[in-house]
Amino acid sequence: MHLQAIPIHRPQQSASCVYRLEGVDYTYPNGNRALRGINLCIHEGDRIALLGHNGSGKTTLARVLSGLARPARGRVLFEEAPLEPHRLGHLRKKVGFLFQDPDDQLFCTSVLDDVLFGLINFQTPPEGAAQRALGALAQLGLEDTAHKAPHHLSYGQRKRAALAAVLALYPSVLILDEPTANLDPASEDLLAQVLKGYAGTLICISHDLLFLYGLCTRAVVLQDGCLHHDTSFEALISHRRSLQEHGLDFTFRFRCCDSPGRHVGAGRSPVRSTANDPSSSLPPARSAHVCRVSAGEAGSDACQRPEQPPILELHQYTYRYKDGAVALRDVSLQVRRGERVALVGPNGAGKSTLAACLAGIRSGSGRYRFDGKIVDNRRRRELWRHVGLLFQDSADQTVCSRCYDEVAFGLRNLGWPESKVHQKVRAMLRWAGLGDLENRVPQHLSGGERKRLALASVLAMEPDVLILDEPTAGLDPQAEENLLKLLDEVEATILLISHDICFVSMLTDRTILLHRGKIVRDVPTWRFLKDENLHSLYGLDFTYYNRCCREIQHLQETASETADGKGAPFNGL
Amino acid sequence: MKLGKTSETSRSRSRGEQELWAVPELPGVEEGRRQTLFHRWDPRIKIASLLLFSFCAASVGTVGTALLCCAVSASALMVAGTPWRLAARRIAAMAAFLAMFFVVLPLTVPVLPGDQVATLGHGTWIQINFRGFSVAALVAAKAMSVALLMEPLLRTSPFPRTVNALARLGVPDPLCQMLLIMYRYVFVFRHEMSRLWVGMNVRGFRPGTNRRTIHILGNFLGMLFVRSLERTERVHEAMLCRGFTGRFPTRESFRSTPLDWALGAGWVLGGVAVLLLDRYETLPFSGVFR
Repeated sequence: MHLQAIPIHRPQQSASCVYRLEGVDYTYPNGNRALRGINLCIHEGDRIALLGHNGSGKTTLARVLSGLARPARGRVLFEEAPLEPHRLGHLRKKVGFLFQDPDDQLFCTSVLDDVLFGLINFQTPPEGAAQRALGALAQLGLEDTAHKAPHHLSYGQRKRAALAAVLALYPSVLILDEPTANLDPASEDLLAQVLKGYAGTLICISHDLLFLYGLCTRAVVLQDGCLHHDTSFEALISHRRSLQEHGLDFTFRFRCCDSPGRHVGAGRSPVRSTANDPSSSLPPARSAHVCRVSAGEAGSDACQRPEQPPILELHQYTYRYKDGAVALRDVSLQVRRGERVALVGPNGAGKSTLAACLAGIRSGSGRYRFDGKIVDNRRRRELWRHVGLLFQDSADQTVCSRCYDEVAFGLRNLGWPESKVHQKVRAMLRWAGLGDLENRVPQHLSGGERKRLALASVLAMEPDVLILDEPTAGLDPQAEENLLKLLDEVEATILLISHDICFVSMLTDRTILLHRGKIVRDVPTWRFLKDENLHSLYGLDFTYYNRCCREIQHLQETASETADGKGAPFNGL
Repeated sequence: MKLGKTSETSRSRSRGEQELWAVPELPGVEEGRRQTLFHRWDPRIKIASLLLFSFCAASVGTVGTALLCCAVSASALMVAGTPWRLAARRIAAMAAFLAMFFVVLPLTVPVLPGDQVATLGHGTWIQINFRGFSVAALVAAKAMSVALLMEPLLRTSPFPRTVNALARLGVPDPLCQMLLIMYRYVFVFRHEMSRLWVGMNVRGFRPGTNRRTIHILGNFLGMLFVRSLERTERVHEAMLCRGFTGRFPTRESFRSTPLDWALGAGWVLGGVAVLLLDRYETLPFSGVFR
């Protein structure tokens, strides 16, 4: 049932309408009806958060607004005139669109050329163009990288460069598709500052409601291609039931905050012990030890585990890329069986490289022991039997044409008999909530489903160590919560690489902070979360995030009290 | 004094670490900062004249003149100051192919009157014609001279400038645009391919000679194709959003000086001279190269 329990946003009558959508429908060539009867008016200066489940039609709506997709039915009016093909040039001068993947948007051989691309196309005089391009790059902290090739930049830098290329055009409407996905807190903070200073109309697609808080004033929520809510952003986030209805309820994140909104070690649920039974719907339990952390233990060293021999051990480990750049420098660490460790650090700190070395994908100099045995070249080739790796982008891990085959892929490589494979695949798909999707093409799954499929296919192989590389990237809050529940049941030793401080606090006991390829801190997670100096020192400042959490919690409490006292306000769309 | 030196050392060490950490510069830009004769040369004239010389080098018919061309190319490489390591890599890539000529040609070259022939075994079915070695040496020397010349041709200007120069020389615009985009996306594609391959490797896939490997490799290639196709569409849309109307904008401007033309003329004359030496026995010094 659709809830309409939040007040409707009433735009100021004085503001002129930039976009007017009248009964807009859009259907993809494969018959997928992505938008249905959208009626929407976007006013000058509006700051809109475009929200909804994965696959609800947000990106399609953004493509319609930027003139990339022509509606099958209905009308799109831009500046009160219908958006016809001959007006697309005018629209593109005024509307900037930041794509989700920066590599789609950086197609020139240097960053400066990319930023100048649009300016030259729009006939900006050369001197003015260069000035604007360098100004936009400087605004995003990229003045030193102007002459570098995009593929030589880190992901965060590429994302900022793509935004610079859009901002240099001085657009009066800015459409952003998942601008914060995979960004470290420092880059996210810089992005927030730049966008707060942007004076035009802002339309931002994101699942990161904490980022949108303070940036957007209006929320447009889509579900199955239909417009479900068009309200003030504050009203939406203070109404939990509406958030839940659209899979946007991120309040599970508050579990990792104490009363003043600061992060503490969150209550991890006790983990059931499972046998190595192929039909078990729980992931395997090779490890004997499980560490529990609860909020109450936050003041002490939460994880009091008996001395277990280390399963992963690096000593003075260094890794250099072929071009000579050092990715890891003299890294020494020990991870014990059953431990849950977070690897945090800014973009380019060497987290993913460390994970690749531990999984045997890369090999550096120094000593690496796995389960007490030195990892030489022969053992390195066999590490895949013991170390599972969940990639940042699940698409990199899906090569089969059916979900069933995807989960069976690793098991067949392990040489399991087909009957055992069948049992295990069924059990793992059920565990991941994909029981009835075994014949579905993985590419047709939503982001959350695909992530769970990748997790199931890794865990089916019963690894001793599970390495998770940014598991929450691009997921909506409901998919994040589902993933968190699944991961909480995993008993293997976990290494979590994440910028998501909430996941770190809820899933791990110990945090290793990497900076420029070196381990600069190795502390219990609760201590890391309390040390604000540590955050700001290494570009991991979560102060803003914490403040947002606090304020949203307060808003929700106030709204709930109002609802208890006077009954929930009920307004139609 | 000592203190000053120490702090200087520590500064330079920290600078060194900084450099090591820094992401590498676009090779073309780095190369462009060097100022040899080849770097300063107008790319349009450079491309035209060096390619013409390459054609001449590829047309010679004697080992001596081919080796002369090799020497000229090696000298050009030295003057251009591009790393020998890269030239060696280029030659190494051809080495196996060229080595094959030394094996195949002595066995397959038709026997002409005056050829030296060795017969292996008691029968006459394996004949080694020593002229085959000289034909293989001729092919190898010609290939080497052209390959060595590609270094000063391609590594002394940034790639986009070279492509823009090609466009000015009349190479069709769409082809040049494709070259420019390909140069950028070959890295993205390589990265995507390696991620997908690693994704299979960490789940234990090791290619073998069985049906399952063929099936998985088929899936892998199919996935790469689908992803590339999707990316192509998204890149095109991103270009449209920033005003692309079918012409890639360029910032490159070219200006030729008399020195550029003189250099070009020198290379063209050099190429013609090599051909004449090769073809006309009566020319002075021509006997040296036979």
